[in-house]
Formats: sequence, C-alpha cells, structure tokens
Amino acid sequence: MKMNRNLYKKELKRNRKNLIIWTSIVLVFTILVLSIFPYMKNIGDQMAKMMSELPEGMTMAMGIDAQTFNSILGMYNTYYGIYIVVLLSIYAASTAAIILSKEERDKTAEFLLTKPISRKEIFVSKFFVLFTLVSIAYLVQTIIAVVFITMFGGDDMMWPVFITMHTHGLILILFFTCVCLFISMLLKPKKSYMGLTVGIVFGSYFLDKIAKATDVMDWIGYISPFRYLNFSVSDPNYGVHIIAVFLSLLVSIILIILSNKLYSKKDIAT
Amino acid sequence: MLTVKTDRLSKYYGQDLGVRDISLEIEEGEIFGFIGPNGAGKSTTIRTLLGLLIPSSGSAQIFGKDIRKFGPAIRKRIGYLPSEVNYYEEMTSRELLEYHCRFYDIYNYTDIDRYADRFELDLDKQITDLSFGNRKKCGIIQAFVHQPDLLVMDEPTSGLDPLMQNIFFEMLQAENKKGTTIFFSSHILSEVQNVCHRAAIIKNGEIIATENIQTLLKKQMKKVTVSFKQKPERLEYLIGSQNQTWRDDVLTFEYVGPIDTLIRWISNFTLHDVILEEPDLESIFINYYENENE
Repeated sequence: MKMNRNLYKKELKRNRKNLIIWTSIVLVFTILVLSIFPYMKNIGDQMAKMMSELPEGMTMAMGIDAQTFNSILGMYNTYYGIYIVVLLSIYAASTAAIILSKEERDKTAEFLLTKPISRKEIFVSKFFVLFTLVSIAYLVQTIIAVVFITMFGGDDMMWPVFITMHTHGLILILFFTCVCLFISMLLKPKKSYMGLTVGIVFGSYFLDKIAKATDVMDWIGYISPFRYLNFSVSDPNYGVHIIAVFLSLLVSIILIILSNKLYSKKDIAT
Repeated sequence: MLTVKTDRLSKYYGQDLGVRDISLEIEEGEIFGFIGPNGAGKSTTIRTLLGLLIPSSGSAQIFGKDIRKFGPAIRKRIGYLPSEVNYYEEMTSRELLEYHCRFYDIYNYTDIDRYADRFELDLDKQITDLSFGNRKKCGIIQAFVHQPDLLVMDEPTSGLDPLMQNIFFEMLQAENKKGTTIFFSSHILSEVQNVCHRAAIIKNGEIIATENIQTLLKKQMKKVTVSFKQKPERLEYLIGSQNQTWRDDVLTFEYVGPIDTLIRWISNFTLHDVILEEPDLESIFINYYENENE
C-alpha cells in the first residue's frame, strides 16, 4: 500500500473548501440543538405529555419520543440520528463518488494517469484523502457535541449511550461512503452524484422509518442499515450492535477492494 | 536499441474496433511519425502505450519493459502531450507544472520559468482563463520539463500560432539532437515530412505502411493548377500526371514524380499563375497505394 504524498496533499487542498462548508453546517446544527436544550427542559414535562397524545407512527417517523425534551441525550439523539448522521453520510458519500470519477469527467485523468504512478497508488492515495476528510468532519462534530453537552447538561448524561450512538453513526457514514465509491466505479462519470447519494442515504433512512411506523411493511426495513445501526436510545437494552458493525465493515472492505479492482482495469476514454 | 516495440497490439471497445494488430518499432534517437486521418486510431494507440487504455490483445514494450507490468517506471521517462489539453481549472499553470514536476521528484522549478519565457506563457494565470493555444503551451512545457527520454506528441501543433510552431519545432529538434526519441502523431503530412525520419501510416485502426520519409516524398502526389496566359494549341501532358481537367485556360491535374521535371515542364509556357498544393491525406494514400499495386 503505497501512497503518493504529492497527490494526497493536492487533493486535500482541493477538497478543503467543501470540507469546511459541510463541517460548518453540521457544527452549527449540533450547537443549535444543544444550546436550546436549557430552554426546552423547563417545558419538557408539558411536551412529554403532548407527545404521548400523538399517534405513535407519527412520532416514530419523526424520531421523537417522550424522552426527547426531558434529557439532553434525548434531545441530541433526536437530531443526531436524522440530521447529523444523514448529513455527514451525504457529504462523505458524495465526496467518495466524485473523488476518482471527477478526474475522468474533467479529463484530468489523462494528466494524472500518465504520470509515473500506478493506478493502485492513485486509488490508495485518493482513498486516504477521503478517509482524512471524513475523519475530520466526524471527529470535529463529535468533539463539539461532547463540549456542548458537558456545558449544557452534562450532570445526568449517559456517556455510554453517546458512545454507542456515535459508533453506529460512524459505521453508517463509512458504509455509505464505500457504497457510493463503488457505484461511481460502475457508472459513467457524472457531473454530480448528489442526487444518487441523497437518494441512497435518505432512501435507507426512510425505509427503516416506514417499516417501523407500519406493521404491514415491516419486512422492507430489514434491508436498511439504519435498522441495525439504530439510535433508539430509549430502549433499555440499547448498545452497540456488534454483528451489524462487523458486517457493515466487512461489506465496506469488500466494496473498497472491488472498487480498486475495477479502477485498475478501467479504460480512460477521451 | 528499440525504444518502442509493439507486437500485434489491439484495442477493442466492446465490439468496436479501436486499433488492430499494431506492430511498431521505433529506434532510439529517432523521430518517428505517426500519420493518418482523424479517427484512424492514432490516439488510441498512444493512449494504450501510456496505460490509459488496457490493450485487448498483443503486447508492447517501451525501453525494453512491458507496458502492463512496468507502467510507472516507463512513464517516468516519458513526456506526453495530449491532443486536447485538459488540466485542473482551479490551478495556475505554475501550480500545475510544479505539481507535475513533483511526480518526477523534481523540486527545482527554474526550468519551468525558462520554458515559459520561451513560449511567452503567463504562468500565474488560472488555467480556466487560458486560451486553447496557451493551454497547449502549458502542455508542451509539461511534456518537456522533466527531460524525458521519449517524447510522445499527439497533434502537437493544433492551436499554436505559426511563430510558436517554429519555436516548438526548434525545441523538438534540439531535444532530438540530445538523444531524445520522439513519437510524433499528426494528420498533417507536411509536418511529419519536415521533422520525421520514418513514419507509420494508419488507417481504419490498422497500420498500412511504415515508410522512410524520403521514400514517401518521392511517391508523394501534388495537386497542380496551371493558369495559362494563352492556352497552348498542342499540349503534351507530363508523364506522372493524371486526372487532368480544364476550365477555360486553367488546367488542373495530379502529379507524382520528380519535382524538377514538373518545374521544367511548367517553364515551357507563358503563365498567369501556378499553384502547387498538397492534396488531402486521404487522396495521397489512395494514390500511394494505387501506385504501389501497379
């Protein structure tokens, strides 16, 4: 596994702006959600009562339950599972889809691939770029979440639950990243993979929600990774789903290997 | 020693033919022309040699090494100018060329400025803002700057103004004198004639001949238009001319043969004008091979 530092550095620089934009969005969101908790807490009991009167299917689909406004964890979890993980997944997966295919679409692949560098080296370098970008976005968000939870209501915070949530979040993000990287190797280079990425991530999310809200469609939820890597913190047995983590990582690794294989045999058309 | 050797190299795109059974041998230090009409397979051959396309069958060696196994090592010693230059738009020429150099472990960038001065290229302009010709200049510098042993040029003059073409050809000759082998692909016959020692002619994905340029020149057809002041009453057509057509006092024909003979023949008449033209490549080929078969 040889990485080309010249390529790695240039790619990081090239993706810097996008990283900053997406990380900022996620951070602003995290901070917003956590900083309104102290105000929500006072009306928490009333809200909980109101929630319990809503139809169960509806609250489930929105990811809200009675606990939402009572504890900072409930509050954070409501938004983490839907928005933050989904946003980070979309960022990571759309970057993954474009990181190699953009060179082909812009025809700069002709420049890069005629340099004294193997396709494998390009793949590995680009993959490390992707990994670096996604790690930065993920870690910065996690750190800020820890800081603000501690600031606004850390006293009765259940940190093990937080760790489980963030582990599931990370695995989901990595999984979608690898899926979209692989898909980009199968398709003709496109201008943007945003539609596809959003479709896959949101699609998976809603499959799980629809399945949970309606008993009839229960079976359909089984194909969504959100079902296994879930954020149901109110479940007393909530913990890291080891098998799901293991399987997701396994599938991700297989997809990376297949992507590398496809890339090494690809014809770079004019 | 052979710098490039291909053995029945073929590339198909699914069912479609790219090139078939390309067998080439380019000697070290040679300027080798690769000529054929657009779409004949020149770029496909080059892109296969450089590893952009995976060959369907056959093999190729550059510097005696197999292209599939030693791609990076081979490319370290190649300078490549693509027919269409596409670079990272957000970079300046300088950034791009420095990025290029680092792939070859070159960290002293003075040569970039030297070449840019020669070609009058503003290095600090973003590539987006460069005209087609200026992008080409950047491409040429990119091909030369790391002092390769083999230069692969795909339609190098397109987009360059005549002045820059001259500078480019001077540089090409100078590199060749230093021992650099040059693979020169073009659809313009006169260019290939001027710079190359030998040339391969490619048509419909197959090489139809590899010729010494001198031989090609001897066999080369000219399109001649003679405008007589007074149409001669008795006119003997020159040996080697064909397809004569008259329009008023203007005679047009195709001629294959020594150019001196043609000039001497023309000087027998009182004329308004003479035009000697290079016919398009296609008709040269047709003529060339008709003659060959006779």
